Amino acid sequence: MSTPSSPTVFVVDDYAPLRRSISRLLRAADFVVAAFPSAQDFLAQYDSGVWGCLVLDLAMPTLNGLELQRILAKTGSLLPIIFLTGTADIPRSVQAMKQGASDFLTKPVNDEDLLAAVRVAIEKNRALHREQAELSEIRARLATLTPREREVLEYVVAGKLNKQIAGELGTVEQTVKVHRAHVMQKMKAHSVAELVRLTQRCSISGR
Amino acid sequence: MTWITIVWSMNAAACLTLAGFYFAVWCKQRQRPMYLLFSCSAIAAAAISAFELWMLNSKTVEQYEPLVRWIHVPTWVLTLSFVAFVRLYLRAGRTWLAWSIYGLRTLVLILNFIFPVSINFTAITDIRRFSWGGQMVSVPVGASNPWGLLSTISLLLLLIFSVDAAITVWRRGDRRRALLVGGSMIFGAILAWHVPLVIWGVIDVPFFLGFTYTAIVAAMGYELSNDVARAAGLARELEISEKRLKLAADSANLAMWEWNIVRDEIWITDKGRSLFGFTPSEKLDFDRFRSRLHPEDRESILQAVENSLRTGAEYRSEYRAVLPDGQIRWIVGRGHVEFNGDGKPVRMRGASVDITKRKEAELEAACQRMELAHLSRVTTLGELSGSIAHELSLPLSAILSNAQAAQRVLANDKADLAEVREILNDIVSEDKRASEVIRRLRLWLKKGEVQQQPLQINKVVQDVLELIRSDLINQKVTLETELPRNLPTVSVDPVQLQQVLLNLVVNACDAMAGCNNSQRRLVIRTGIENGGSAVVVSVTDQGTGIPEEKMEQIFEPFFSTKEKGMGIGLSVCRTIIAAHRGKLWAANNFDRGATFHFTLPVAASDKESVTTKNRIG
Repeated sequence: MSTPSSPTVFVVDDYAPLRRSISRLLRAADFVVAAFPSAQDFLAQYDSGVWGCLVLDLAMPTLNGLELQRILAKTGSLLPIIFLTGTADIPRSVQAMKQGASDFLTKPVNDEDLLAAVRVAIEKNRALHREQAELSEIRARLATLTPREREVLEYVVAGKLNKQIAGELGTVEQTVKVHRAHVMQKMKAHSVAELVRLTQRCSISGR
Repeated sequence: MTWITIVWSMNAAACLTLAGFYFAVWCKQRQRPMYLLFSCSAIAAAAISAFELWMLNSKTVEQYEPLVRWIHVPTWVLTLSFVAFVRLYLRAGRTWLAWSIYGLRTLVLILNFIFPVSINFTAITDIRRFSWGGQMVSVPVGASNPWGLLSTISLLLLLIFSVDAAITVWRRGDRRRALLVGGSMIFGAILAWHVPLVIWGVIDVPFFLGFTYTAIVAAMGYELSNDVARAAGLARELEISEKRLKLAADSANLAMWEWNIVRDEIWITDKGRSLFGFTPSEKLDFDRFRSRLHPEDRESILQAVENSLRTGAEYRSEYRAVLPDGQIRWIVGRGHVEFNGDGKPVRMRGASVDITKRKEAELEAACQRMELAHLSRVTTLGELSGSIAHELSLPLSAILSNAQAAQRVLANDKADLAEVREILNDIVSEDKRASEVIRRLRLWLKKGEVQQQPLQINKVVQDVLELIRSDLINQKVTLETELPRNLPTVSVDPVQLQQVLLNLVVNACDAMAGCNNSQRRLVIRTGIENGGSAVVVSVTDQGTGIPEEKMEQIFEPFFSTKEKGMGIGLSVCRTIIAAHRGKLWAANNFDRGATFHFTLPVAASDKESVTTKNRIG
């Protein structure tokens, strides 16, 4: 399972020459770049479906970096944020990291440092997106189960034997066997261990 | 020699002597023609006496006739010059009376030469000789001329004129002169009445018209002696006052001088000679004076002197004199130009004083002010170090990233040269920006003389906002500016003015530190005031305001409400603005917060255009 299209690096900085130079550097390192002069401009055009990372200036007029970070967090965005700051401002860097920043770099920033931070952030985002994709896949498989099959699944994951399950459900062992085969097939699980792993990721516990 | 000869001759001699004195006085005081007039009238009186003496000793009608005719010439001169003298000397006597006398007397003189003998006699038939006071004298016998009445009328007018003049002088309060000169005039005018009485045969005495003037001569002699005595008194007083003046000048260290412009000679007190380092006997002229001036001050002094000579304005200057031993003295000079009747400058008088000590103290104070201003700038810079570091880090970051981007572009096989060119352009402009920040910092930290130059106030405001931009952003302060265009220029030192503005802006931000984000509003306005003679700048905050009782205290040195502040910012600001001949003050706003205002006088070159604009507008 792979993430859709290639990652985009968003650059938000109110100082045009710096925005241009960062964009050039990233493009020269073969990244797809989208640059914005302010937090508002970015919010207006940002498509949450696009993945990658955000290189964000901390100090900007009207809406600053920390505020944009909070807004994105509220909307449930997964975009990792690399902060760029002119001064090594400890209280604000701490706040930024607490709010889940991916990295915090001071200007002038060395290319290797920036690119490394961007690569880490993109990998993080890629992993996040992959996990999200897997989860939705598992949920989709779960959705195909009939209520009876779901019940059987929960007993199986709990480690109950077919006979025990039949007893619990008030049916015969042969019927449970058939349900169990359907569950394994629909969940694309080759063993009970795998079925347990899949259900755990969806936070489904056994009965 | 008979007593008559002696008395008449003495009278004539007395008249002539006094005429001589007054003529001499007039020669020295040409602007006072009354002395010449008196001199003329006294000579005429002497001539009359001479004629009379001649007539008294005449034995025949042939001898007598021309005398009785020609005596009218000195009489005419006497009457005319006397009336004019009274008008000028006593500043009294009615004009119409004076002109009537002039006219009548002249008519008498003309008629006198038309009639066969004179205005007094149509014919002289005989000379009657008789004993008078033990001496034989001659009087004419003949038919009197009815036209002689004109002469009598003129005599009457003269009497009225004299009495009227004497009363005027008396009323004016000059009683001594009214009694003395006026009295003797009236006495003479009455005495002259013997002439018609003799002619009409009423009394039997010889003519003594010459003596009518004796009293006046005596009075004028007294006046002369009085003047001499007064002059001596004045001379003594003058001497005393000169001594006093010298004492005052010496104790005030004043050097008095006088420049005779026509002859180019300078007189100066001994104090002045030592002030400029001249020897006591040295002859001084303008060039010698000029040689003592400091070369840098020479031009301005020449201009000041020329201006005074041209316009008559007071000469005032402050300059340095270089003494022969190389010592430099600060001197302040003042003087007045005197002009002659043609409006040409003839003399310049004045005083100079040594202000070296005061000047040194002033320079010392200025030096300290500069040190303090510098210290304050360094402090402010310390407070703003974050903002400044940011201002520098921006272009430096852009340069680094651009350069590294270029390295990567070039490492590529198919390098995009157009992009590399753009990158280099950006690097160059960013480098310039960083250099500009550094240049501004260097200027800011420079210790140096104040250099005032004509500037647009808005340019200074924008420069300061550039410097503090990121600080305002970090502190979430919203900035509003009202900077109208076409303001007149002001003559200021840009660094010092930036310092003032920066201080006010930093203070305003500090005052709003405890406010909500929405209330952190800073407004900077510029405009004109005092009818266009000054530019005003206001910095308004929405902070806590200033307690009324501290409104002036905040400008005192080492007064601070901040924990970190040294308390020199505002006091330095006020000193700077005062040095620019402006005013700095604070006031609380109606709603909340405070506003700091300062004014700066409009640069001289711009004043004219502003007034013109205002007039048109």
